[in-house]
Amino acid sequence: MEKDTVIKVENLSKKFCRSLKRSMFYGTVDVAKNMLGVKVNTSKLRKDEFWALDDISFELKKGEALGIIGQNGSGKTTLLRLLNGIFPPDKGKISLRGRMGALIAVGAGFHPHMSGRENIYLNGTILGMSKEEIKRKYHEIVNFADVGDFIDAPVATYSSGMTVRLGFSIAIHCTPEILLADEVLAVGDLSFVLKCYRKIAEYRDKGGSIILVSHGMQLVRNTCQRVMWMEYGKVKDYGNAQEVCDRYEDYMMKKDSQETQGIGVHINNDPLIGITKVEFLNKKNEIVNRFKVGDFFKMRIRFDCKRKLKNPIFTAGLFSTENVAVFVDYSSLGSKLNIDYIYGEGAVDLCVENLYIKAGNYQCTVTLAEGELMNIMDWREKSFHFSVVSDQSSADGMLQFPSDWKLKQ
Amino acid sequence: METQIDQNIAVYEPNQRQKTGFFRSLLIVAGNIRKSRELIKQLFVRDFIAVYKKSFLGMGWLFISPVIGIVSWVLMNYTGVLHPGDVGIPYPAYVLLSTSIWGLFMGFYSSATGTLGSGSAFIMQVKFPHESLLVKQVAQHLATFFIGFLMNIIVLLIFGVVPSWKIVFFPVVILPLFFLGSGIGLVIGVINVVAVEIQRIMDAFFGFLIFLTPVIYATDIASPFLQKIIKWNPLTYLVGGARDIIVYGRIDNWDKFLYATLLSLVVFIFSWRLFYVSEEKVIEKMI
Repeated sequence: MEKDTVIKVENLSKKFCRSLKRSMFYGTVDVAKNMLGVKVNTSKLRKDEFWALDDISFELKKGEALGIIGQNGSGKTTLLRLLNGIFPPDKGKISLRGRMGALIAVGAGFHPHMSGRENIYLNGTILGMSKEEIKRKYHEIVNFADVGDFIDAPVATYSSGMTVRLGFSIAIHCTPEILLADEVLAVGDLSFVLKCYRKIAEYRDKGGSIILVSHGMQLVRNTCQRVMWMEYGKVKDYGNAQEVCDRYEDYMMKKDSQETQGIGVHINNDPLIGITKVEFLNKKNEIVNRFKVGDFFKMRIRFDCKRKLKNPIFTAGLFSTENVAVFVDYSSLGSKLNIDYIYGEGAVDLCVENLYIKAGNYQCTVTLAEGELMNIMDWREKSFHFSVVSDQSSADGMLQFPSDWKLKQ
Repeated sequence: METQIDQNIAVYEPNQRQKTGFFRSLLIVAGNIRKSRELIKQLFVRDFIAVYKKSFLGMGWLFISPVIGIVSWVLMNYTGVLHPGDVGIPYPAYVLLSTSIWGLFMGFYSSATGTLGSGSAFIMQVKFPHESLLVKQVAQHLATFFIGFLMNIIVLLIFGVVPSWKIVFFPVVILPLFFLGSGIGLVIGVINVVAVEIQRIMDAFFGFLIFLTPVIYATDIASPFLQKIIKWNPLTYLVGGARDIIVYGRIDNWDKFLYATLLSLVVFIFSWRLFYVSEEKVIEKMI
């Protein structure tokens, strides 16, 4: 292992068992073998076993940040557990240099009836700090957690945010050489999240190395130089953070748009009335489901009414993958579309001149009501999908306007 | 789980613990315990003291519980249903002392089986030497025991039994009980994670074993068949020895007491090795 390498993982594999009963049986067999001194062959799969991690290799240098991305169940957390030394590997080898700290274990071992102060000592010790070290950092920990007078009250009386803040504060003050972080910034309010960012940046400045597991692509792009993309326990892609994140997002989009039509929830209150189809069209009136930021966008809602539907109201909503309503519109709003009735097959179009929404995947909910907005005859909940792509990388937010920065001095 | 190649490099490999030599593994365990003294203390405070924070009487319960136990034994004696045989001292005092020592043994056993379980809240999240949990468990048990034991001594005095000055050797005489109880418990605790039946079976076994050990009766009352079992049961000498040193200031059957002690020590050493090689395999099954 080279001098500046802090983690070296070579052909690492780990297997798990799908069946609980069998898993316990294998465990019994393995434990019995271990106790009797019989060698356990960990490199072969038995019935119902699978590789949760399969032949993973990578290196982390001092001061580097590596992002690990991938869908749920791709093996990210398992990998962290192995790096942390909680599970033994079944194949391959892990070499580590320096103290390992895990931001996975936020508040591990907290006792609800003990005060915040007592819990700092308890949790800090569990995380491997010495008593003197905790004493020295005590005020820093309390200030960072921002729990105020509550520090002498039992943790059971804390709000959930306070508990997490205290746990996080202890964990981040362990000052390990290698930090394992699993979805860390899903905690606390904005000001705390910012404080955490600052703390992580400070830690990086001092030469600390990070492995960051996250679904937040922006965070990964901003924090990490390199990214490992995992799928089904294997490394699918590895390299420059920007590039791998782009490829991952593109892949996810394509995967989602393949499953476009006909999914989601369908509620029908009148079998004679139905929304049959929703199509997305571009300026040339071609059916597509991929738009560029700022493109002309047309949504065509096709219906079939086997009876007269009086005063029809169409509604359409666009939702981001995080389930945020990006845009919702009713046909009755501002008398855009005033019709006495509809009968037979037909379609309505909703046109948007410039689709200034952020690149990503969108789901579409469409309803058809009679007379009143909530008198819904047919409801297709998040049943239609399209995606928006962009040439330029965007920061956060839901919208992406064409923008410019100018300096005036 | 980890071997140190150079000072700062830790390596994780498959079956690493099995490859570690027998005595080396014992040294690692001992070293880990020494290094985690502070952790043991913190966990002890959490599990022993913090438990009582919510109750009005608080740690008063540590004293109340044994008193209730004592009262029930004294009451049972006055009903006269038990014919204990001649034990040389008032029967309630004899039973009180014997059961208390038996409880000490059982406590060693059950606190050891709970070793991994007592850290289940963070065992999957943080790496720390799990052997420290055993020490904490045992310390917790001893603390509870000694408070009850103190009450028992007071009761002995009330019954007119004055303990021998050799009671000062009591902490040494109970060591083999610790070796045997926690040794068996450690191994059962590991197996129990993957084969949950084992603990039920062992609990039933120990529930039965109290009747095969002269705890609530004297050796001279038992049937010839029972005599044979009692004779081969190491606990006869270990429990008896601890009791006799208090009551009579001597240990009958010194030789057998020593054999039993040796056996306990062997069990204890092997159980540490078994614990060391197998516990990491069951951590991932603690779901």
